[in-house]
Amino acid sequence: MIKSLPTPAVLGATAALGVLGTFLLDLALLAPAALAIGVAAACVAAVLLTAPADGESRALRRGLVAPTSLVLAVVVGLLTAVIADLWLIEPVAYALGALAGSLTGPLLYRRMATTLALAFVAVAVAGALAFALTALVLVGTGVDPGYTFGRMLSYGSEPNSVVTVINSATTYYLSAVAVAIGFKMKLFNIGVDGQYRLAALLAAAAGAAWALPPVLHQIAIILVAVAVGGFWAGIAGYLKVARGVSEVISTIMLNAIATGITAYLLSTDRLAVNIGSNNIGTAPIPESGWIPGIPTEFMGAGRPIFGLTLLAVAVGVGYWALLNRTRFGFDLRATGQSASAAEASGVNVRRMVVASMVISGMVAGLVGMPQLLGDSHYYALDFPVGLGFTGIAIALLGRNHPVGIAFAALFWAWLNQSSQILDIDGIPKEIAVVTQATIVLTVVVVYELVHRWGRRYEQQQVGRELGRVKVATS
Amino acid sequence: MSSTRSDGGAAPPAVELRGITKRFPGVVANHDINITVAPGTVHAIVGENGAGKSTLMKTLYGMHRPDEGEILIGGQPVQLHTPSDAIRHGIGMVHQHFMLADNLTVLENVVLGAERLHGIGARARRRVTELSDQYGLGVRPDRLMEDLGVGDRQRVEILKVLYRGARTIILDEPTAVLVPQEVDELFGNLRELKREGLTVIFISHKLDEVLSVADTITVIRRGTTVATVDPAGTTARELATLMVGGQLPVPELRESTVTSDTALRLEGLRVEAADGRAVVDGVSLDIHRGEIVGIAGVEGNGQAELIEAIMGMRPVAAGRITLDGTPITGWRTRAVREAGIGYVPEDRHRHGVLLESPLWENRILGHQTRRPNARGPWIDRAGARADTERIVAEFDVRTPGIDVNADALSGGNQQKLIVGREMSGDPKVVLAAHPTRGVDVGAQAAIWDHLRAARARGLAVLLVSADLDELIGMSDTLHVILRGRLVAQADPATVTSEELGSAMTGAALDASSAAAAAGGAPEPGQPGASTEDEAAR
Repeated sequence: MIKSLPTPAVLGATAALGVLGTFLLDLALLAPAALAIGVAAACVAAVLLTAPADGESRALRRGLVAPTSLVLAVVVGLLTAVIADLWLIEPVAYALGALAGSLTGPLLYRRMATTLALAFVAVAVAGALAFALTALVLVGTGVDPGYTFGRMLSYGSEPNSVVTVINSATTYYLSAVAVAIGFKMKLFNIGVDGQYRLAALLAAAAGAAWALPPVLHQIAIILVAVAVGGFWAGIAGYLKVARGVSEVISTIMLNAIATGITAYLLSTDRLAVNIGSNNIGTAPIPESGWIPGIPTEFMGAGRPIFGLTLLAVAVGVGYWALLNRTRFGFDLRATGQSASAAEASGVNVRRMVVASMVISGMVAGLVGMPQLLGDSHYYALDFPVGLGFTGIAIALLGRNHPVGIAFAALFWAWLNQSSQILDIDGIPKEIAVVTQATIVLTVVVVYELVHRWGRRYEQQQVGRELGRVKVATS
Repeated sequence: MSSTRSDGGAAPPAVELRGITKRFPGVVANHDINITVAPGTVHAIVGENGAGKSTLMKTLYGMHRPDEGEILIGGQPVQLHTPSDAIRHGIGMVHQHFMLADNLTVLENVVLGAERLHGIGARARRRVTELSDQYGLGVRPDRLMEDLGVGDRQRVEILKVLYRGARTIILDEPTAVLVPQEVDELFGNLRELKREGLTVIFISHKLDEVLSVADTITVIRRGTTVATVDPAGTTARELATLMVGGQLPVPELRESTVTSDTALRLEGLRVEAADGRAVVDGVSLDIHRGEIVGIAGVEGNGQAELIEAIMGMRPVAAGRITLDGTPITGWRTRAVREAGIGYVPEDRHRHGVLLESPLWENRILGHQTRRPNARGPWIDRAGARADTERIVAEFDVRTPGIDVNADALSGGNQQKLIVGREMSGDPKVVLAAHPTRGVDVGAQAAIWDHLRAARARGLAVLLVSADLDELIGMSDTLHVILRGRLVAQADPATVTSEELGSAMTGAALDASSAAAAAGGAPEPGQPGASTEDEAAR
């Protein structure tokens, strides 16, 4: 086995191979196929050029990490190419895609930890299981699963569907991050639902009542929502540390109370006005408080993407940075892992409980904002409900990881959107719910198995490593 | 390697382990273990911490299955899938940590989970009394468990096992929680069991005890059986050599480095339990720079509470704590740590490490607010990682890297990381609770070395330990704690573990111990000079 070359050299070689291969194959094959083969060739080259790290089993590295990075690289390459294709001519777009893919693959193979590769495989296995189960249900009800999935795929990739998917994924994402912050502390914030509804109602009312210049207006509305969400969740945090009330119970109760309060406030005697013939809601927010959408004409869609999608991205980055880069995040994760060890290390655990509940609630307050500021501009009886519960499922599916949650939210939204077409064909669209439910279950189970296996693998790895050192030194 | 005692001859061995190999997710596994236990004997299995004794006993008790090899009971090969299989084959186990319900009586504890055998009424009571008399355990069925001492609790555990019909009893480190006097009583019980034809497998790493009670000794080193010897023909020194493949480290301090500056002063410290009872009562002591102050006491006499109170993890009901002249009574844990107190906790899994976090994050734990781990509100990853590398190198933490999770390391290596971490950042005082508990001999010697070196640099150490040799060897000044009060002071240069053991049980409480409690701290500059240990005799 040759020795490992330095990473830049390998990357250079594989990138050249991938791009050149794609370019040449493009002459004979369809562009996507050419790209896939080119990127795959680059990945294989990288595998051959890389010696496995000391002490790691080569079989595992090659059998697990290599295929995972290959698949991910091809996906990255294809996505880059398809997106670039919207602006550029095809050969250039696909060359770019090949470059991205052939850089991603080898880099992943070299850098990706075995456990992360395992996580990807776990998700893939869980997804396959979920779809297999759904297919089984379809066959049981006498519907052709191939046809069904084909319809969903084609409808789900229409430009308008893509926009809808991104928009609902945005709200799902915010909701799931709110839940995930609690999960990281081993707190189960079931109350995201009540928190965002109350926050959206009061923010909408405030936004309609105040006349402020643009920018300030939006900021003021969002701050109201954040404050209300944080306050509402903070009640549960306070009850937990002061009175020992389980946050599960108190947030469920607070949901019910929030429903009552919104119903009370959403009356024409109080905050609401008549909207249309059959609906009441808060007075519309003046245009100075709206947030413009991201135009989507370039991809041929008829409506814009919520401007606040960018806020969701920022929340994701902030969530990641808070957890992994700040002292506060360290204390939070430590408390979640072992409250007793955190206490002994000087963390004020009670304060952390309240703080994390409040932060979770603040993010929950944002959940209604993309819809409120980007689309409806008022809070009415038909404002979306239940997003808080969807968030729990998505946080579970995304394993509380900012990137994992993003994929989970997109996937969830895509299932919801693409199944809409099925009604036309007389196939019950609730089939998507079956897939959603089974994938949450399978991901949780498969992930737990992989997690255990990964821990054992690491322990064995350490044992082997130390055993070798012992032999070497004795 | 294996041998049977030559007395019986005809009778098949009570238990025979042939070529047991257990590949275990962890650092230590068993490989090719061969042990033959003759019926009606006390068979000791010795080995240092982490040698694989517990793994082996869990195999024998059906808690997990061996990857290779076979287990024979009474000459018949058996498959033990669960502990209840083992019990059915007459094998019972007394764990190191008792599994008893405090709010139940002795009888209720014994029948709990074995109601089918003799019911829960008069028949069960008769059986308990019968067994207690037959084996001379002296257990009274109607006493409440919470009223019993450690020795009595252990006898209840043995009775529980007998009640379930065990003919072979595994005792896992039974003397770890006992004072020397209780150990003698236990050995009396074991001889009684042996006389009645039962077989005892006795796991220990205390060689003197093993030599005095066992009929046969099997030594385990690094997961395999290295020798089976007759205690009559061997010495503790030879056993130690077999056990560690070299010399056992001895805890000792050389010249005194004690200064007259008081680093930590406790005055009349009182800590209360939730019900208002004092668990630490009027404790006053001074720890000087360069001094190690040892606290001896049977576990549960307020040592843990004392340390937690100093750390700010438990409210102080009365009294004052002063660090370098600064009163720190009632400060929060973080402030106490930042003021310069390091803490090696008694239970490292509960209080010392995050098992599922990498080593470098564990380096940060407890030092979140300080360099090199943090810069303002941000975690300084590069700084923390570099410093973790330093600790791993300086404290000889055996690990392939600083990115592995803490639970991939053996207990000894986790402990070295904790000790290294707590000695970082120039602490003024380190509170070390059982710093070498459950660590192997090599790590033990390393931790002692580091304590000695830090002491020479002027560190003040409060040392709590259940290992009396460690306490006597490593302390400049030694206090005995009983029911939350410092009842005696001993000179580590002259006191023996037996004397210390008596003082710990309160057997020798008299006027001078009252004086010790009232007199408080020793004269600065003359630690350990007191002769109040006469009280202990």
